[in-house]
Amino acid sequence: MMKALVFALVLLAILVPAYSQGKVPEIRVISKDFYPTDPDNLAHIANIQKAFKAKTGLDIKITLLNAPEGSYPEKLNLMLLSGDIPDIIYFQGNDEAIANQGMLVDLRPYVDKSQWFKKAMLPFNVKRLQNYPYLVWLAPPRLNTPAIRSDWFAKWGGKLPNTVDDYYAMLKKFVTSDYDGNGKIDSIGITDTGNTARIDFLFNHAFGLTTTWLKDSSGKYNYSKVSDFEKNKLTFYQKLYKEGILDHDYITTKWDGMEDKLYTAKIGMVVGTPGLVTDIYETKMAKAGKGNEYLVISPPAKGIAQGFTVDVSKESRGYAISASSKNKDLAWKLLDFMASDEGQFLDRLGIEGVHHVTKDGKVSLTEKFGSWYPRFSEVVGWKGPVDVLGKGGRESLAMAVKYATVEDINFVIPKDLAPAWDACSNVYKEWSFKFISGEYAMDKWADFAKAWYAAGGDKVTEYANKTLK
Amino acid sequence: MRQGSGGLGRDIGRAFPLYLMLLPALAYLALFCYVPMWGARLAFMDFSFTGNHAWAGLKHFRTLFSSPAFGAVIANTIIISAMKIFINFPMPIILAIMLAEIRSKKMIRIVQSVIYMPHFLSWVVISGIFLNLLSLEDGAVNRLIVFFGGKAFPFLTQGTSIRWVFVFSEMWRSIGWDSLLFVAAIIRIDPEVYEAALMDGAGTFRRIFAITIPAILPTIITVFTLNLGFFMNAGFDQVFNMMNDAVLSKVDILDTYVYRLGLQNGEFSYATAAGLFKGVIGLGLIFATHFGSKRLTGKGVW
Repeated sequence: MMKALVFALVLLAILVPAYSQGKVPEIRVISKDFYPTDPDNLAHIANIQKAFKAKTGLDIKITLLNAPEGSYPEKLNLMLLSGDIPDIIYFQGNDEAIANQGMLVDLRPYVDKSQWFKKAMLPFNVKRLQNYPYLVWLAPPRLNTPAIRSDWFAKWGGKLPNTVDDYYAMLKKFVTSDYDGNGKIDSIGITDTGNTARIDFLFNHAFGLTTTWLKDSSGKYNYSKVSDFEKNKLTFYQKLYKEGILDHDYITTKWDGMEDKLYTAKIGMVVGTPGLVTDIYETKMAKAGKGNEYLVISPPAKGIAQGFTVDVSKESRGYAISASSKNKDLAWKLLDFMASDEGQFLDRLGIEGVHHVTKDGKVSLTEKFGSWYPRFSEVVGWKGPVDVLGKGGRESLAMAVKYATVEDINFVIPKDLAPAWDACSNVYKEWSFKFISGEYAMDKWADFAKAWYAAGGDKVTEYANKTLK
Repeated sequence: MRQGSGGLGRDIGRAFPLYLMLLPALAYLALFCYVPMWGARLAFMDFSFTGNHAWAGLKHFRTLFSSPAFGAVIANTIIISAMKIFINFPMPIILAIMLAEIRSKKMIRIVQSVIYMPHFLSWVVISGIFLNLLSLEDGAVNRLIVFFGGKAFPFLTQGTSIRWVFVFSEMWRSIGWDSLLFVAAIIRIDPEVYEAALMDGAGTFRRIFAITIPAILPTIITVFTLNLGFFMNAGFDQVFNMMNDAVLSKVDILDTYVYRLGLQNGEFSYATAAGLFKGVIGLGLIFATHFGSKRLTGKGVW
């Protein structure tokens, strides 16, 4: 009898927790580079579950999913296509086709009711949510800030460049001097990654390219890349290319190639993502041992205007909640919690004992902190117990926030116009390189504009003038 | 395994182990080649993630054919494929014949190992190698050109030269591996035929043209015809990894176009329509080559 009683108790002790464990609502999350194969991610999730319970009183079981190997946006599409739809989905583009089919939740009511998320949003986040209510993303504006090798900058001896002429003078000196000390005049001023998108952040406003669509004197909208402002900018780029200031291989350079050229002192400056990424540049540069550890962060060039443009048409990346989720409220509560002070502490500082340590109530970062990045959100202005950004990260972020003053005039290209947009965008990509490399003289500009409109630009322009007010 | 001598059933009974070995290949074909054909119906529907695909008729084909870039994309696909097939196709045959002429078995093994190696590299790696080799600023090829007094040439950003880069990088990767089949065909030729030719005073070239090539002609025709079935492929991995903005109008092929507009934008129906179009052209080319070859040489794929 006694034996039977003990057996029954043991059985109960095993089954009850297992049963209650099964009752904890599960939130399945798919996100780029946030996979369950990394022990850090699993430890992070365990910490979040615990802190979430303490803060909200709710139990949650977060399950990270593995995305198939390869390009994340493409593989995510294929995963969703197979019918495997997680509760929380991180998108890095390509979300519109899915949202258009009613598969994503309108997040506006959730944001309105949120305890922490709404307060953490910046004005551009609010506008993006109004224009496209399926994605949310708390992070600094995604733009690129100029970063100059401090050793070359010191050798040059000039003041912080501000105007187009300042930048030209500095870069010209870089390529006509032997600042890398290899005995040859073979340095390059600046490079880009496959197109001039990064350098454009530096020079667009200076040449009058303040928004994607520009209103002319008659009130008609025209695409900025076929405007005279663009022509003037490309004329300047042509000069940079001809004088060896702009890397002749920029068109075939990828992001890792660009970084490598910076670390190995082949180029003098890059235009990169502010904050954490700029910190990574500095860390890797110091490791490369070429005598430079810091980057000088400079403002966008001043000319006709000075600043960065912020797109408010939609979040270009971010988290969405699946319309088929059985736990939408809980999924949202998790995203909301991650914007709270406790959520940010976990997401920004990483794992206790690995990425940071607390001693006598004082938090300090470990060497491994350099490999940590927030998995959910990066609330701008969050004040942690310790500075999570290095010098370059802080300065570049401050520069981005200071100059991100102009809201873009743009719209989401509708599905029917996608082939036309693809065709005319390709015309720009190819012609712009031919202008910059000098293969085409700038007097061919009218031919380029004609080709752009013929390839579908006319249809897109017509749509722009109907859509933009 | 001809059916003539007693029918398929008897043949299976006689060569049962061989038919058993065929089973996995048949299962593979059924699973990966025939079952997915059911999905081709998406080309005529508006795809929905919820599974409620609405009938769309020929809408996606109309969008495809009316796209401003479609003409150029098809032209690029045909040009790049034609260059690869007509320039690269004879190379493994020539290589196989050359290998057959090497007398030292050790040497053959070394050469074969070296030339097979690139086949196992992915296009990501190969494109990295070629991008570095042909870089305008510090590529080895341009450094050599400059060293000998020439001017650095933008191999990767000129529409005509990038197509040749595709052809040669493909040749470098595939020539060794593709020669395997022809080496096997040459090995099957009876050595006594060569000995007789040698006694009759035939030289090396005479033997190649009078014995080797006629003997491997059926293999050549079969491989060529099957290759034509993939004519519209043009090599997505290679083009995708090596292309750049400067040469888009010269290298954007059907597969890269479909990848951009179809897969990346989640327009699966559009991508399926383009894939189906490509498949139909490929099938047409196989039939045309098969019957053309039957008429001209009496030999075909079946």
